[in-house]
Amino acid sequence: MAQVARMMKQSVTPDFKESVSQTAASVVGVSKFFGKTVVLENISFDVAEGEALVLLGASGSGKTTILRIIAGLEQPYTGKIMLHGKDVTELPARERGVGVIFQSYALFPKMTVEKNIGYGLRIRKRSRKQIKQTVNELLSLVQLEEHRKKYPSQLSGGQQQRVAIARTLAYKPEVLLFDEPFGALDAQTRVHLRREIRALLRKVNVPAIFITHDQEEALELGDRIAVIRLGHIDQIGTPSEVYNNPATEYVATFLGAANILEGTIHNGHVEVGSVQIPARIDVAKFSEGQSVKLIFRPEDVSVSKTQTLPSGHACLLSGIVEEISFVGAYERLRIRLDPGGSAACDAGDTPYYLTTETPESQTAKPIIATRPKPESMATKLRQGDRVFIGLTSFTILPSDSRASPGPDSSK
Amino acid sequence: MRHVRGFDVARPLSIGMLVFMMLPLVFLPLASIFIFGTSNGLGNFWAALTAPEAIFALKLSMATSFWATLFNVLFGLFAAYVLSRYNFLGRNALIVTISLPTAIPTAVAGFALLLLWGPYGTLGRFLRPQGIQIMFTAGAIILANIFVTFPLAFGVIKPVFDTMSRSLEEASATIGATRVQTFWHVTLPSLRGAIVSGALLTFARAVGEFGSTILVSGNLAGRTQTAPLYIFAKFNEGQIEAANAIAIVLALFSFLIFSVLFFARDWLDVD
Ligand SMILES: Nc1ncnc2c1ncn2[C@@H]1O[C@H](COP(=O)(O)OP(=O)(O)O)[C@@H](O)[C@H]1O
Ligand SMILES: [Mg+2]
Repeated sequence: MAQVARMMKQSVTPDFKESVSQTAASVVGVSKFFGKTVVLENISFDVAEGEALVLLGASGSGKTTILRIIAGLEQPYTGKIMLHGKDVTELPARERGVGVIFQSYALFPKMTVEKNIGYGLRIRKRSRKQIKQTVNELLSLVQLEEHRKKYPSQLSGGQQQRVAIARTLAYKPEVLLFDEPFGALDAQTRVHLRREIRALLRKVNVPAIFITHDQEEALELGDRIAVIRLGHIDQIGTPSEVYNNPATEYVATFLGAANILEGTIHNGHVEVGSVQIPARIDVAKFSEGQSVKLIFRPEDVSVSKTQTLPSGHACLLSGIVEEISFVGAYERLRIRLDPGGSAACDAGDTPYYLTTETPESQTAKPIIATRPKPESMATKLRQGDRVFIGLTSFTILPSDSRASPGPDSSK
Repeated sequence: MRHVRGFDVARPLSIGMLVFMMLPLVFLPLASIFIFGTSNGLGNFWAALTAPEAIFALKLSMATSFWATLFNVLFGLFAAYVLSRYNFLGRNALIVTISLPTAIPTAVAGFALLLLWGPYGTLGRFLRPQGIQIMFTAGAIILANIFVTFPLAFGVIKPVFDTMSRSLEEASATIGATRVQTFWHVTLPSLRGAIVSGALLTFARAVGEFGSTILVSGNLAGRTQTAPLYIFAKFNEGQIEAANAIAIVLALFSFLIFSVLFFARDWLDVD
């Protein structure tokens, strides 16, 4: 096992200089049309050595097309693909040395497990002895030794996937590309397998690009996540960056639940209806009177029966609990904001305050809050209770943005 | 109520009727070949079978069918590959044209070949001065066999190509294989069953071909007379026994091929 890992490390850091080998793969300004439809629009990103990048997007957003272009199965209309500093845009798939794990695994049905794994070496005319040794190492790496003589149809989905991975590792790929690797599996196997694959990738240290439409999967698998919408990268960053500081409303809503309130910039504050939030806004990014969106996650909402919220939790407003539901691990509250209510939180030392002059429909919109069990046990709430609401964190985005100038976020 | 007692009268009745209908149509004719063929003793049967002309006819049938099968399987493979992998203008027209020969009466096929390659045919008349004569040779029989069995192998191989996942070939390419390597190691093994059954079908059909062969071969005993033509000739000469001996061989032969196709289906289709 260690031998394979060593072999992989050597192979993916070939003779390039250190600075070059930091980036394993780059997609530079790639666009793609099918007929007259734009499927990809100026896509650029890098994958670092040993990194796992997840392309996250809805079905039809162009994820598979990006993968196929990197693998050389599809030609880009503009842009180029670099692998370890080498421009491979013009190279056919078979000369790129990229490992693709297809959605259906695409194992060769008439070959046994070991024949499948050894295929890359057989067509490279390696010696029988060498093939046997590598196949044995890979079989033990993916723990399929006792299945070596079986045919793909005799294996479970997870086992087939491991064969597919071993089959690409055999020829020391520059980068591994996974197209919806867990799509065909049941929920439990899926979680189990993605941890297994993550561990395997760390062991062999091969950079990987995963495709998924499952946000939970993306958060768990990726060192970084690129959120793709309609052939365009909305945001690329670490899981915590994209989750906590979404660059667009789409990113915010695609990765988990988000509350969105509309407001305007006024005197360097954000006004949501009658509520003013003196967020530390980068004035350069916003102009006076600009409409913005205040975005925050249900778990960033703190709820209190009293006017004092725990320190650091900025009081926003009060509201009435409309609905309480239990969603397994936590409690979910729907709260109708109540701007008309005269009761406001103590401004205290928090940087937020609110005014209650002109109630507007905006603030009368319900928001969703979630509370962990200990908290919901400590402070029991019932339908109709008046609560004071605070935010631990939120993001402010321009309203009309598709490609926004970037997130502005306060904590 | 009948069902409760586990006995359905319709069952034995319908099976019996089916067998009864097939009796005069299929079973009895086949049985009579064997009954008559051996009615004068096995010695006579054996003598008829080993007559030089009979042996020659059988060999010629096998040889011409073999070459026609080889050609049609290779061509069918190639045509199926092109027509399922590439999309182009006139693709459907080509598919229909390839399948056409099945619908053409075999006598018409033979006649058409004569009109093309015969001594005064469209092309034949230019070949004749060169001393090249295709009709009335074994070559003509092969040509006729090819024409008549043209779509059989293609028809079996093409659907397998169509359903074969494209990602297998793509996977092979990303692993580093050339097109030839991919075809040899990945595509061909998946086609094995289709190729074998396509070949058997073509061969069986070619061995039994009569209508086109009798026109293009000239039916010269010991030179261009195939087994079915031999049966026909001997029957006309009143030598029923000679005809019958070869008929038995051809019947057994088709039983054999059919059994392979039927009982080895699992092996042929193995995934
Ligand atoms: N070969 C093709 N010809 C025409 N349109 C295609 C082709 N492949 C993909 N598309 C279109 O491109 C878009 C992106 O497809 P794809 O990359 O498969 O998306 P995803 O993998 O994110 O679901 C889709 O609208 C799809 O219909
Ligand atoms: Mg896809």
